[in-house]
Amino acid sequence: MMVRIWEDAPGKRVFMLGNEAIARGAVEAGVQVAASYPGTPASEIMENLAEAAKHLGFYAQWSINETVAFNVAVGAAITGARAMASMKNAGLNWIMDMLMTVDYTGVRGGLVLAVGDDPDAHYSSNEQDTRIAGEYALIPVLEPSTVHEAKEMTKKAFEISEAVELPVQVRSCTRISHASGDVVLGEIRRERNPVGFNKHYKLPYRWDVYGPPGPVEKHKWLFSTLPKQKELSEESEFNWLDIVDGSDIAVVGSGIGWAYAKDALKEMGLWDRVSKLKVGFVHPAPEGKLERILRSSSKVLFVEEGLPFVERKAYELAKDVAPDVEIYGKLRNQVIEPWGELNLERVSAAISRVAGIEIKAEDPAAEARKKGERLIIPRSSMLCPGCQHLGTYWALKTALARFGGKVPIINGDIGCYEQGGYGVSGRKIEPNEELTKKYVALAPYEMLDTLHIMGSGIGLAQGEYHAGYREGKIVAVSGDSTFFHAVMPSLLNAVYNKANILYIIMDNDWVAMTGHQPSPSTGLTATGQVYTKANIYKVVKSLGVKFVEVVDPYDIKGTTEVLQRALQWEDGPAVVIAKRECALQVFRRYRKERKPVKTYRVVEDKCIGCKLCVYLGCPAVWWKPEKKKAVIDPIQCVGCSMCAQVCPVNAIVPEEEGYVFGLPIGEPPKLLKEGE
Amino acid sequence: METVNLIVAGVGGQGSVLGAHIIADAAVRAGLNARVGDTYGAAQRGGKVASHVRIGPDVESPLVPEKGAVAVLGLELLEGLRNVVKYLKAGGIAVISTYEFPPIDASLADLQYPKREEVEEVVRAIASKAFFLDLIQMAKEAGNVRTANVVGIGTLYGLGVLPFDLEYLEEAIKENVPRGTEEVNLRALRIGMEAVR
Repeated sequence: MMVRIWEDAPGKRVFMLGNEAIARGAVEAGVQVAASYPGTPASEIMENLAEAAKHLGFYAQWSINETVAFNVAVGAAITGARAMASMKNAGLNWIMDMLMTVDYTGVRGGLVLAVGDDPDAHYSSNEQDTRIAGEYALIPVLEPSTVHEAKEMTKKAFEISEAVELPVQVRSCTRISHASGDVVLGEIRRERNPVGFNKHYKLPYRWDVYGPPGPVEKHKWLFSTLPKQKELSEESEFNWLDIVDGSDIAVVGSGIGWAYAKDALKEMGLWDRVSKLKVGFVHPAPEGKLERILRSSSKVLFVEEGLPFVERKAYELAKDVAPDVEIYGKLRNQVIEPWGELNLERVSAAISRVAGIEIKAEDPAAEARKKGERLIIPRSSMLCPGCQHLGTYWALKTALARFGGKVPIINGDIGCYEQGGYGVSGRKIEPNEELTKKYVALAPYEMLDTLHIMGSGIGLAQGEYHAGYREGKIVAVSGDSTFFHAVMPSLLNAVYNKANILYIIMDNDWVAMTGHQPSPSTGLTATGQVYTKANIYKVVKSLGVKFVEVVDPYDIKGTTEVLQRALQWEDGPAVVIAKRECALQVFRRYRKERKPVKTYRVVEDKCIGCKLCVYLGCPAVWWKPEKKKAVIDPIQCVGCSMCAQVCPVNAIVPEEEGYVFGLPIGEPPKLLKEGE
Repeated sequence: METVNLIVAGVGGQGSVLGAHIIADAAVRAGLNARVGDTYGAAQRGGKVASHVRIGPDVESPLVPEKGAVAVLGLELLEGLRNVVKYLKAGGIAVISTYEFPPIDASLADLQYPKREEVEEVVRAIASKAFFLDLIQMAKEAGNVRTANVVGIGTLYGLGVLPFDLEYLEEAIKENVPRGTEEVNLRALRIGMEAVR
């Protein structure tokens, strides 16, 4: 992160990450309040805003969840301030209740909702296209095609929001948010909207949806903004039409789809020969421009990331304005599948199909590539070297085996530990009930049985319990930030309705998976102020949970013993907090202080080749098939000692030199029951 | 000038993303357009990472097409192979680290990590020039094991792949690497350049 996020240098060309550009757009617009919850691919928006906030003196916060973040931003905008909430695709689902209601009351200060979609599900549990949400709420939606445009659109979104008095959605996606490109910096707006309160601003009981004349009248008001929204879209600089005389083919691209379409047309030598429409103001779509392009050609191809959103609008229009036009895209004349993400190859192939051009594809290296493909093996996702979750999962596995029962159910949640449900790509699984009954979880990557969204695991566990499942113990896991985000109400529900489940909080003090943002358990805010750490132990106790224990996941034996007791508990939910700061963060501090850690090594003569240390799942522990021995990569090892703990013959030993990072073997762990 | 497509690939934690950003930042400093599209999974460490770098006077989208890269820099052997096979143009340039980081699939699904000789054979059949270098050892010689990414950039520069002057690259390195490591990274750059002379 560099000064460019708040640098006052209009006209300067810089190289920026898409999320940084979105943040810069908000800075240039003079944002006054920004709130967010971390989620890939949107987290860097707030990371950059928080940095800028420190220098420019506006307010920025990491919120407990997206709903809270959005409400904070709405509140600010009601008082007239310019505000922004940013979140990932899934985060938007959390705010839908408010989004579908705040559009009835509107806003005074500009309110921008920046959402990072994730086609191809690089870091998400689905590929949803959130433009639909903007359409559902009848608010303007902008969709950038480049990193520079992401900045420009975010800036403009504040003005549009103030013009129509509604939130404006900026729909980014992974290939904008996590792409980088050249950006020209603009001026930073120095004036701030005055902050005040007017209960009856332009409409009676403006900010109270039930206030007379009531929700239906306020819904009617929302519709009254549509002509203005359409006018802004029609005139928008983000929509660009080029009708080429004599062309019979047209290409329409929205957002990043336009970038691929432009590159593909240029590479194919078609740029000057086909009509084209770039749509950046996607909702409401520019009907006039769409109408002209539909009338211009007999075949029109739509290139969009996600669902056929503008394409659907074109069908709606074509019925009246160009009934004979053939529309290609992701719907009836499907030349691009509506799943996965776009790339130059897919878009070029679609254009060539519509234009009836053959793409030549001779590859003199085809033979060698085939041979290479046979050599390549998958690289499944894994937890980090020395990750504490490896210890928790090992202890859970052991405790469940000792507890007995046929088939336990372990419900996962969202965070680093979700990788306990990623499986191993190289292992082919045939759907088979017998396999479930055998339930041999060799490595932590096959621990989790259910995995969906933030907070789902603990809810599913209760449903499984109340349905009467008793063939094995029912477990749920989540991290500390997920606990605050989505689990607290559900845990109270488990106490209230008495579900005898085991819930493990894998507390590592940070929102680690998205890049170590602070959470209430870190004791830091977005802008670095130090606050008292939230005490999860006390929160859980106060919800009425009768069995609460804190363990150190690096102490595998101790953790196993506590989990065994927790599994026996039959008086409501049992909660075990596996607490230790994320190894990556601790290791970073060691490196800064130039403290080399005491790494571990396998004594080859002593190793019996049982592979238990390999099954721990640590990336630093490798199996050498030719020797039938384990080996530890000294570059990866952080010296956590967990592999040494699971070795049955003490063949893993620490090096002589270095600082102790993990738990020294033989020493009892010091556990703190916070607050007791 | 035609668009220059590059891939910088490795394993999470090796600095391949930063490496790609340094190259593109240098291109922008030299007055060119640049795009980087990063592809990595959800994991913080150990996952496969490939950064797509596109440099040109008029480049818009961020992803390198298959078989469309003039060069592939692989900071780990298997990831180098994976990306050469998918993205390197026949006759392109490959620089691959000999560092082997077996995935869990090798340990837990009993898959064979590809043998070095076989990897070399395939890569040499696709590339016109292929270098298999111990980038980690070279980084240690520069003074910091974590500069293997910049050693790799040095080799690309030395091979004439990067379409801008050295001063822009040095500037981009100084601006992007952690404070206090500027000198060691510039040394790493030189070591990389020398290695392919």
